[in-house]
Amino acid sequence: MIYEKETRYIIPFGDVPSPRAEMPEISVDERRENFTEAETGFPEDMAIHEAKRCLGCRRCLGCALCWAECKPEAIDFDIPDQELELEFDEVIITKGQNNAFYSFNPQLGYGKYADVITDLQFERMLSPTGPFNGMVVSPLDGEIPGRIAVVQGNIDNDEAHLLSSLILGVNQSVIALDKTKDLEMVLISPLCQSFQEKFFAEAEKIPGLQIIAGSPESVEKERDAKEPLLLKYSANGEDKQKAFDLIVILTKPKISPELESLSKKLKQDII
Amino acid sequence: MSDKTVLIVGGGLDGVRTALEQAEAGAQVTIVEKFPTLGAERIPSDRLIRPEQAFMNPDLDKVRGHNNIRILTYSDIKKINRDNGNIRAHILKHSLRVDNSKCNDCKACIQVCPVNMFDDFDEGLGFRTAVDFCNITTGEYNIYKEDMPVCQETCPVNLDIRSYVGLIADGKHLESLAKIRERLPLPGSIGRICPHPCETACNRQYLDEPISICFLKRFVADVELDQGIEPVYETPEQKYPEKIAIIGAGPAGLTCAHDLARLGYEHIKIFEALPVPGGYLWVGIPEYRLPKKLLQREVDLICNMGVEIQYNTRIGKDVAFEDLKNDYDALFIGAGCHTGLKLRVPGEDDYEGIVDCVTFLREQALGNLPKAKGKLIVIGGGNAAIDSARVGWRMGFDEVYILYRRTKKEMPANSWEIDAAEHEGVILQYLAAPVEILGENGKVTGMKCIKMELGEPDASGRRRPVPIEGSEYIINAETIVPAISQGADLSFLSQGHNFELSRWNTFEIDEETGATNVPGVFAGGDVVTGPDIAIRAIAAGKHAAVGIHEYLRSK
Repeated sequence: MIYEKETRYIIPFGDVPSPRAEMPEISVDERRENFTEAETGFPEDMAIHEAKRCLGCRRCLGCALCWAECKPEAIDFDIPDQELELEFDEVIITKGQNNAFYSFNPQLGYGKYADVITDLQFERMLSPTGPFNGMVVSPLDGEIPGRIAVVQGNIDNDEAHLLSSLILGVNQSVIALDKTKDLEMVLISPLCQSFQEKFFAEAEKIPGLQIIAGSPESVEKERDAKEPLLLKYSANGEDKQKAFDLIVILTKPKISPELESLSKKLKQDII
Repeated sequence: MSDKTVLIVGGGLDGVRTALEQAEAGAQVTIVEKFPTLGAERIPSDRLIRPEQAFMNPDLDKVRGHNNIRILTYSDIKKINRDNGNIRAHILKHSLRVDNSKCNDCKACIQVCPVNMFDDFDEGLGFRTAVDFCNITTGEYNIYKEDMPVCQETCPVNLDIRSYVGLIADGKHLESLAKIRERLPLPGSIGRICPHPCETACNRQYLDEPISICFLKRFVADVELDQGIEPVYETPEQKYPEKIAIIGAGPAGLTCAHDLARLGYEHIKIFEALPVPGGYLWVGIPEYRLPKKLLQREVDLICNMGVEIQYNTRIGKDVAFEDLKNDYDALFIGAGCHTGLKLRVPGEDDYEGIVDCVTFLREQALGNLPKAKGKLIVIGGGNAAIDSARVGWRMGFDEVYILYRRTKKEMPANSWEIDAAEHEGVILQYLAAPVEILGENGKVTGMKCIKMELGEPDASGRRRPVPIEGSEYIINAETIVPAISQGADLSFLSQGHNFELSRWNTFEIDEETGATNVPGVFAGGDVVTGPDIAIRAIAAGKHAAVGIHEYLRSK
């Protein structure tokens, strides 16, 4: 499998996330009434460290190793792109596989901790065709989590979003609970009226799932990476906190500007 | 059966389902999807499910085998419009680079591929190689290849950033610098002052923060300096006899001269109105951002290739433009935008102490300004405004103000420059505009300003500032520097010239070659684009060098 070839990776991924190098500067006092260069330049160790952050933009480099390896000679770098001029009577615009989402509370630690993921990533994780054959594991260390929180990322007045994300959160919990032994699932989000009226009673009965009407505030890690995630949230006007092994953030889908303008141009709604 | 043709944009769950419905009803359906595969297993979000109902899966096999459905995956809609009720679409289907009819699914390619990238199909949860089949049950093999990495594509001169950054990572700093110099003759200068569009595009930002590409370029240029190495810019053995004149020793002109010299031209002369080279790099960018000594060294490297710079020579005054045109085989105009635009408020022309930002920065750089006294007001929100204020603060003005009519968010200056100015103690007043320049005995004493609020968005998409009636106030100041914008000064052209000019009084050129409508005359840089960043002027100089070469060789 590909994971055996670690030495052949262009750059190992161990450093994500890591901040970029900051340019050293002389102090403000040193700058007054003179024109000395304010930025002093990277020292060598800093420059090398920064250069190593480059992903080399992991796209095909045209090295042709695959071409040399392909016995049936199926790989051909010279297959041209195709340009088509087509005419239609009607057009239907759908969202496609566009999975963009609105930005959400940055305090929730997404991008900072590898064991904080989005609902879209969780969906891929739960899929049998996904990266872990449908197993629920922490992307940080591959351990099977014992406690998972599904938390609302976008707290605004969008009722329709709230309802669909709550249902998705419950459904994802149902699948995760089915796949994982002794799992404790907690869903934390403001609850909208339609959810409470139509779905809450049934969702509440799901064994292993606890639904808390509240607002997630922040996610922290106490000491080193092996510690669980500490989720702070408010519920019933009280500040609370609880430890989890994996946190899933419910995102609010966003239509790409490209599709928006296509829809506007053709005067056709997106379904 | 109807002959209705339907285009479905998007091959996700909804697209695939709709395609099947339409096809079953007899329509001829085409699905266009950006991804190399149709997608679409999703967990429902409109009803509660039991575990065994986990994923909704459209019937992909049925879609694939359907006679009425054409699938265009890995395809982009390049152009689409409604024409007499019909939809006309221009679609680009990217090459998979794999002939899937020959592929036997052995995965040998995946095992040898050295590229390891986040798996976009799995939302970045796992990794994949550049060869991929997206999904066990649905995918076709394909190789994800771009012409260039996104940084290189974004860079106006298409610097091979991936290579030179990689060389630094390996500790090969001088090799890295050589790589940069293949396309850029001023690495130390650009490595200090470039607003780096490449970093704005850098893919690493989606993981944490973009790579500090610009400063890495500066780093390797500094390594050479620190080691006391004097490089030589090589020129080829084979020389061409033609004479080429260049107007302006700014980034566009210098680069054009450098590239022509490297092609083998030995008679290149740059005419420069100022006593110094570099154009705006010398007289616009302050010393604390780009030391003159360093810029001079990089210019000298170009002159050592046999390029001559004649200083203190203003075309149209010291040498007639027509003479240049007659005496030389080709001409490149890189005169820049060195005229500061006016505020158009009362009192502007009446007092001493009001000086536009271009003049202010230039005279400071040339050491011609009197000693700073009292307060300074800079008006404007671009990088020239910030530079003027930071220069004024260093000159020793007691207080330095920047007045901008919108808010920080709308300011066109680079955010890090604004932060640096604030950090140094420049006072930024947002939502304020000048009303009148005040003065006494022929000298500026202050400025009457008015507070603004933001109204409806204007043509630029930014919200238009509207004055708040009765909110006038006065700031006392001895020096006022309008930094509104800059224009080109084309008065060097002869009367009755027949150049095509834009409505902004800049040259119209052919973008590929830099050619103007007058044969043998080329132009590039700010004199074409209006005030813009140095690296784009450099790119224009490069295009023109190629254009001039082609023009001279085909003569």
